[in-house]
Order: sequence, then C-alpha cells, then structure tokens
Amino acid sequence: MKKGKKRQQQSTGARVNGNAQRKESWKEEKLVQIHQYLNSDPVDVDNLRRAAVSEGGLLTDELRRKVWPKLLNVNVYNLPARPCMRADTRQVLQEKLIDIILVILQKNPALNYYQGYHDIVVTFLLVVGERLAIAMVETLSKHHLRDFMDPTMDSTKHILNYLFPILEEVDPELHDFMLRSEVGSVFALSWLITWYGHVLSEFRHILRLYDFFLASHPLMPIYFAAVIVLHREKVVKRTECDMAMVHHLLSQIPQDLPYEELISQAHSLFNRAPPSVLARRAALQSRTSVTINCFTDFQKTTRQQRPDSVLRRQLLRGRERGGVAPDSPLTGATASNQLVKMAFWGISATLGAAVLAVAQTAVDWAPEFIVQLF
Amino acid sequence: MAYAYLFKYIIIGDTGVGKSCLLLQFTDKRFQPVHDLTIGVEFGARMITIDGKQIKLQIWDTAGQESFRSITRSYYRGAAGALLVYDITRRDTFNHLTTWLEDARQHSNSNMVIMLIGNKSDLESRREVKKEEGEAFAREHGLIFMETSAKTASNVEEAFINTAKEIYEKIQEGVFDINNEANGIKIGPQHAATNSTLSGSQGGQQAGGGCC
Repeated sequence: MKKGKKRQQQSTGARVNGNAQRKESWKEEKLVQIHQYLNSDPVDVDNLRRAAVSEGGLLTDELRRKVWPKLLNVNVYNLPARPCMRADTRQVLQEKLIDIILVILQKNPALNYYQGYHDIVVTFLLVVGERLAIAMVETLSKHHLRDFMDPTMDSTKHILNYLFPILEEVDPELHDFMLRSEVGSVFALSWLITWYGHVLSEFRHILRLYDFFLASHPLMPIYFAAVIVLHREKVVKRTECDMAMVHHLLSQIPQDLPYEELISQAHSLFNRAPPSVLARRAALQSRTSVTINCFTDFQKTTRQQRPDSVLRRQLLRGRERGGVAPDSPLTGATASNQLVKMAFWGISATLGAAVLAVAQTAVDWAPEFIVQLF
Repeated sequence: MAYAYLFKYIIIGDTGVGKSCLLLQFTDKRFQPVHDLTIGVEFGARMITIDGKQIKLQIWDTAGQESFRSITRSYYRGAAGALLVYDITRRDTFNHLTTWLEDARQHSNSNMVIMLIGNKSDLESRREVKKEEGEAFAREHGLIFMETSAKTASNVEEAFINTAKEIYEKIQEGVFDINNEANGIKIGPQHAATNSTLSGSQGGQQAGGGCC
C-alpha cells in the first residue's frame, strides 16, 4: 500500500514538474511574442490586445509598463511633466495620487472627479509611475471612464443597464429571478467605476483585470460583472428573492474567483452578444454615451503607433533641433492652486483607507517597485 | 429570524460625516477609524425590540458624493425612516442639510420619519456647529434631533431606536398603510398569513423560481 502510494506521489510529482516546465516555456514564448508585437512598425496593437486578454495577461509589470501605453496610444517619449516637485512636501503616495488627479482635472474641465476614481489612478501610479500614469489615466478618462465623469451618474446608470440583458442572454432563469427580486444593478456600481480596484484585495488580480480591460471595449467591465453573477448562479438562486438579500449577497465579491476562466468567458460572451446587439434586443434607451461612441475611432488611432525605438529617435532628433524638452516642469498653475487642493481634500477625506489598503497589497506583491516610488 | 415588522431606513448626508461608521456601530458595535469609502449603496440589518415586538431594521447606507445622488435617490422610495447626518466639526455639512432635506422629501413618501443627526460629538474641541443650531434646524423642519458619536457609541442605539419608535407610533395611529410596501414597512412572516405579500409589480413574472 505504502509503496504504491509513494510511487503514485512520485509520478504526480514528476507530472507537476513537467507541467511547471511547460508552463514556464509557454510564458517565455509569450514574452518573446509580445516583444515582437511591440517592435513591429506600426506596433501590432491587435496582437498586443489578444495577448493581454489571453491566459496570464501581460505576465509582468515590466511588460505592462511597455504594453499598457500602446493599448491607449500613449507615447512614452512625450509625457506631461512631473507635476512640480515641492521641496517642502514629503512625496508620499497620497500626495502623488492627488497631484495626478488634479493635473488631469485641471486640464480637462469637462471631467468631474467621482469617488472611486482614485482606485483606478493608484493602480496606474503603482505600476507605471507618475508621469506615465498621468498620460494614461488622462486618455482613459477621456474614453473608457468618460461616462463616469459626468456631473451626475446618469450615463453610468445607462451602462449598468447592460447587465440584465447580458444575464438574460446566458441564463434567463437567473435573469428572471433577479428581476423579481428588484435588486437592480447598483451592486455592481463600484466594480464598474473602479475597474474592480475598490473591491478586490489582491493587487495581482487587479492587474490581471486591467490587462484585460485596457485591451477591451469600455463595456467589458460590465460583461465581467455579469460573468461573476453567472458564476455564482446557484448561491444567488438559493437566496431569498428579496432586494436587500440579493443586493447584500452580490455586493460581497468572493476573493477566490477563477479569474482566467471568467476573463475568457467574458471575452467570448462579448463576441457572442456585443453591446449593439444587446441594446437592440433589450431596447435599452438610446443615450449619447461618449465612451461608447468614440471607441471605434479611438481604437483606430491605436493602430498607427510607431515602436518605442522609433519614438526615442524622434525625441532625440527633436531635442537636437532645440525643441522643448518634455521634462520641463509645468508652470505654476497646477501646483500653486492650493484652493483647488483644499476643495479636493474635502471630497477625499476618507480616501486614506482605500489607498493604504491597495498600497499594502502592492507592497506585498512588488516591494522593489514601491521603494522606487518614495 | 421571525419579526413582527420590518422597517426600511436610509442614511443620507455629505461625504465623510460618518454614515457608514454609524451603521457599523449600530449593527456590529464597533468603530473603524479609517473606513473604506462607500460607493453606491451598502446595506446592514439588525433586530430591535419595541413594545415587546421584534422589529427588523433594514438600513441602506448611501454614498455622500453629489454625483451619486441620481443613483442613491431611488433608495429613498420605500423607506420608512431616514437618518440625515452632518458632522458637528464641519460647518459645510450642516449648511448642506436643506438640500438633502429637499431631496429626501421630494423622493420619499410623505410619512417618512426623519432623524437629524449631528455626528462626531466626541470631537468637542473641534466643534463648528452648536448643538442649539441642530435643535433649531430640526424644530423648524419637523425632524427629531440627536447628537451622536459613532466612535464612542454615544446615542447611536438611541438614534436608530427612537426613529423606529416614531415609525411604530405612526403605525399605531394608522398613519402608515402597512399593506403598501412602498412605505418601507413590511409585516413579518407570522403576521402575514392573511396578507400574501407579493413583491412589487416591476418583475411581473411570478411563475417558478420559488421566489418571494
């Protein structure tokens, strides 16, 4: 018996090792491929997008720093300047976070801060650093997050309305149950507007989702919400069919979700029932969504990017011709406006806890990078 | 657990005044100095006893930021009680009460009991709003008033329970139509035999699913 068991263990061990090796070599292959996509001219954004969606996503933070900007058509050699270093201020994470948000809001008066926005900003700050975060989050705010940044959440409600038609597409029974409970879709609000940054405690899960969302249509987070609900179908149906009970159950997101599986499900669900089809079928009120309307054009522009090696040469040539160095600090406007800052502090009085929680998991996950931040 | 009545509450007020902390202190008897931001609405529940009857309080805690109001507003409907909270150390949160009150009155049923709460009474040294000002505002607008501290738990029980007492009295007086769930009151299972409560009409399909 014992012997047999031992052998079995050994063979299992060998299999695990083999698997691990296969897994590693598969990862290496993906790394090489991603670099090829990055170096082709123009950059092969479509394949980068596929890589970000497929298993493992973009694999490392180093790669994220290279690929994320391409997904948003951000030129890393033409970044906005650092928002004014004040010698008298300690550069803590929160300060940086607020500086980034202020720079973006001041440059784009049409954008309004919403509670939860900082959950997105902090993720970029931690992965790509301050200057690239400004450029990326600004682009994101004008496209993917644009609807959330209206003075009211009416457009956001419209996006949340896609949740039920998606559920109906897959599981009409669950859809009817939820409709009867009158739970609505507000339980998914914080998921949607923070890209899950507010509700997931593990930083690596957040990053994996950001790979996916950056490479996808802006409505993908709502497809992902639907996939989570569908994943919990049995528990939901067993719950008392009551608005409060169902809301309470669904708003507590399980921390052990099978992310790769759910990402792939959301991806194929999107292809099977894209927003245009759902909107027609469910007679969703047509509403001018800046986010949805400008996405096709936005995606087109991302296909004409030059690889970084070319961008670097362009930058150097520009400097030789005496162009303005992009490093030059911004003029007073951004930094000196203490009034705006105070107003901002008012609304973010409770910001601390959320940021610290994310920073803490980030420290656990990537200590070397956090150290560079301070 | 069986209850005689269920009362639905909503907690409203500016961001950072301590709405979530009041709820947490009431439901869990604990205080979290740095509480995570509320995005959208969250929910808590607790059983209390009034007049020997078990009453379940179902409390909806809302985000304070202005832009969320188009979302939180829909939760006023169907609330029997509201806790309108300001922070005694921040004058602006007191100044905004009129707007909150107008909003609440406009979107709720007219019998909703509103309790005005001046929170953070433990921070006496940083007080910006006098207790008398809170009392005067409450008198003027027909609200009940209390100062509380979610941190020390002072008056927190009382705030939630006194609101329930007021609702209970209104039921006794026949002011509330308890058969209409839109009033934020539900009769408990043991009272409901003659009153097969169906959930509202929006869902429509009542067949199958073992629902409601």
